[in-house]
Amino acid sequence: MITDFVQNCIDGIMVGSGYSLLALGFTLVFGVLKRLNLSYGPSIMLGAYVGTWSFLNIADNIWLVLLTTICATVVIGIYVEQLCFRAVSKETTIASMVSSFAIWMQLEEIALHLLPERTYPFPAFFDSGLLEFGPFTARSEYLFMFVVMLLLLLILHAFIYRTRIGLAIRAYSDHPSASAYMGIDGSSVLFLAFIIVSIIGGIAGFLILSADSQITPFFGLWATFKGLIAMMLGGIGSLSGAVLGGLILGVIEANAFWYGDPVIRDISSFMLLFTMLIIRPGGIFGHKIEIHQKIASERV
Amino acid sequence: MLYLEDIRTFYGEIEALKGLTLEARKGEVTCVLGPNGAGKTTTMFTIAGILKPRTGTLFLEDENLTHVSAQSRVRKGIALVPENRLIFPQMTIAENLDTGALSRPLKDAGIQEDILKMYERFPRLHERKEQMAGTLSGGEQQMLAIARALMAKPKILLMDEPSLGLAPLIVKEIFNIIRQLNEEGVTILLVEQNAKMALTVADHVYLIEQGKVTFNGNPSEIHQDEVIRRAYLGSEVS
Amino acid sequence: MLNDYLLTVISNIGMISMIAISAYLILITGEISFGQQAYFGISAYAGSIATTLWGWPFWMALIFGSFLAGVAGGLISALTVRINGIYYSIATLAFAEMVRLSLLKFSYQFEIDGEWIGPNGSEGFGEIRWIFENDISILEYTLLIYLVLFLLIAFIYLIEHSKLGMIFRMLGQDPLLASVQGVKIIRYKVLAASLAGFAAGLGGMLYAHSFTYIEPQIFNVMLGVHSLAYGLIGGLGTVLGPIIGVVLDIGFLESIRGIQGYRMIVFGGLMAVMLIFMPRGILDEKRVHRFKKFWEGKTHV
Ligand SMILES: Nc1ncnc2c1ncn2[C@@H]1O[C@H](COP(=O)(O)OP(=O)(O)OP(=O)(O)O)[C@@H](O)[C@H]1O
Ligand SMILES: [Mg+2]
Repeated sequence: MITDFVQNCIDGIMVGSGYSLLALGFTLVFGVLKRLNLSYGPSIMLGAYVGTWSFLNIADNIWLVLLTTICATVVIGIYVEQLCFRAVSKETTIASMVSSFAIWMQLEEIALHLLPERTYPFPAFFDSGLLEFGPFTARSEYLFMFVVMLLLLLILHAFIYRTRIGLAIRAYSDHPSASAYMGIDGSSVLFLAFIIVSIIGGIAGFLILSADSQITPFFGLWATFKGLIAMMLGGIGSLSGAVLGGLILGVIEANAFWYGDPVIRDISSFMLLFTMLIIRPGGIFGHKIEIHQKIASERV
Repeated sequence: MLYLEDIRTFYGEIEALKGLTLEARKGEVTCVLGPNGAGKTTTMFTIAGILKPRTGTLFLEDENLTHVSAQSRVRKGIALVPENRLIFPQMTIAENLDTGALSRPLKDAGIQEDILKMYERFPRLHERKEQMAGTLSGGEQQMLAIARALMAKPKILLMDEPSLGLAPLIVKEIFNIIRQLNEEGVTILLVEQNAKMALTVADHVYLIEQGKVTFNGNPSEIHQDEVIRRAYLGSEVS
Repeated sequence: MLNDYLLTVISNIGMISMIAISAYLILITGEISFGQQAYFGISAYAGSIATTLWGWPFWMALIFGSFLAGVAGGLISALTVRINGIYYSIATLAFAEMVRLSLLKFSYQFEIDGEWIGPNGSEGFGEIRWIFENDISILEYTLLIYLVLFLLIAFIYLIEHSKLGMIFRMLGQDPLLASVQGVKIIRYKVLAASLAGFAAGLGGMLYAHSFTYIEPQIFNVMLGVHSLAYGLIGGLGTVLGPIIGVVLDIGFLESIRGIQGYRMIVFGGLMAVMLIFMPRGILDEKRVHRFKKFWEGKTHV
């Protein structure tokens, strides 16, 4: 009984580390832009499609797939940044969001042109080994994803809070016009943020898909959903919040799936999200709720 | 030091500055007075490079900066204390000061030293250095905004209405700081509504109305001009 | 001349316009809802249950389904009054997904003429046969849809040109100012959301009876985001905006069937470029205002 529960939690944390990776990207880009990039998931999906394409057509080399996935995601990220965020007036936040949705549709169709079938194999990073810890087990590729996620969190944290570029990014996200008076070039900050976020997305997509060992066009929607939910659960604008949000989402899902079924799993995560947004909009660890509330609640 | 000639700045088709000529001399406090909507903030933005003038030239110490970007102007030594302060509310005071030094080269070892100097000058900021800047009082925020601008080690400090919305006692403190800075050799271009206080620190005064300079002289001349005195200092005989 | 295919496209435009209007109503009060598809779905299910299983008359079922959707809209709005911006958007998304997923578990069947009829989880809800049982042609049903749409537009038009419409827009532009000026924000937000739920409900119920089959998957987030996008393409200045958006999308996509396989690439790109130049849509507030002035000037002369 209790072993089941603990095992579920372990599984949840493993799968949840993928959500955490996605949430990191979301929270960073939302923190800087204050605008929602709906096409984040689909960009990763198309990036991974390019990776799969290179796997099928160029060489069966895992590093090549990783590299092409990340590079393609970055290129797509720049495309989205230029078209949906740089070119669209900052005053109308919703225009950017709808524009990123339009590009989502575009990216999905491009993916279907690249590889027209419904599913494709995605190369595994590891020979899936089952690690045993007493009565509990964990799959090695998920454990690896978990470790990479923690590492990325540390690197990102150091970058944002310890470097001058990070300081400029935070200043811009805190008060864009004031940062201009400090000599910070907003458009470079935006560009840089998109590159970083796309790299994280590429890594996330690669790890998640190679653990799943297959890719479908639905991955885009899935990634946007999971990333958004995890970000909201942890609280917008906080890196560690995004990670915790992802892990919690994973744990809830794993248990709901074990004691229920896939539908119950999905309902329970949305129910948790909805209840939390009503009771504690700042996230489960909702520190500084009022401030977060203020940033994120800018109007249409 | 800073020289603007025949500057015309537009917001779309609205001409906010209609051929403005102005000079701020080294080591002096140059004060710009004018009614609401005269174009004072527009002048400051044009100098800082946030707005681009359609015609005219801008020189800083014999260097033509007319076509230089806002970012480079900060590096060249123009720092702005913006109207309404605009500190970074969700960053600590220490981090706010760090952002002021972003325009300085990374290798500049003096940054930490300068932060300590700012804390010496503004002890209240020191006490609260790990506090979020958004939680500071208006007066403290103004001090932070000044300190942040000074962190760029500017050749000229632009201050847009530093007394805006502050209690008289704090206003006095702010002006004491301005006076002190000036005595230490900082060149200041000051925009003010509070003409009485401004004139106590000013070495040279410009009046602008509807985007044009209508008067230019030293403070004592203002006191002599009946019409201007009435308009800006009130009618009581001083 | 008017073949069945064309009629289906036209009636589709009419029904989808209703959910687009619903999203638009929320948009003008300053919020972005990702969840209007929930009300579309609630009414589709409720209305179809009423006609098919309970034998209610069509109009009563239409009002019943839409009313239920309106109540749900108001309820959710009352629960979410304290949050806005992205928090509100995600909360509406979460609610809509909860509705869709619950429908996957929802089963309510009667045996009618030896057949089990009614919603049955993921298998959906078929045999919504009101149109056939009453011998309604596609043309007649299309006219019926447009009658409802016309009434809805007229109703919203009246609201927009009343004090209520002004209050809605005021909520959108500056809720703080609105509350200072004595507007009871909560009451009006709930009212707007109920109206929006009702509008989506009309579309949903009509949709179910037009296609005779519905399943939870129809009411997914794509429907919601599309209806949001329609208002933004067509323009946020008038209730005609969302309808223009629907006509452009469905009409355009249908007319370029020749480039099958590239339509989203073309259309998505066009939409993104359009939003650069018209970030509040074709008929935005400014253009509507200018148009009105022009019109007034003309009629005065
Ligand atoms: N973003 C803008 N778009 C259009 N017009 C503007 C804009 N900002 C300022 N203006 C106009 O330019 C003129 C000068 O404005 P400015 O802000 O420079 O005045 P100011 O002298 O600083 O006034 P105050 O004392 O109230 O701060 C005003 O007529 C104002 O309406
Ligand atoms: Mg001003």
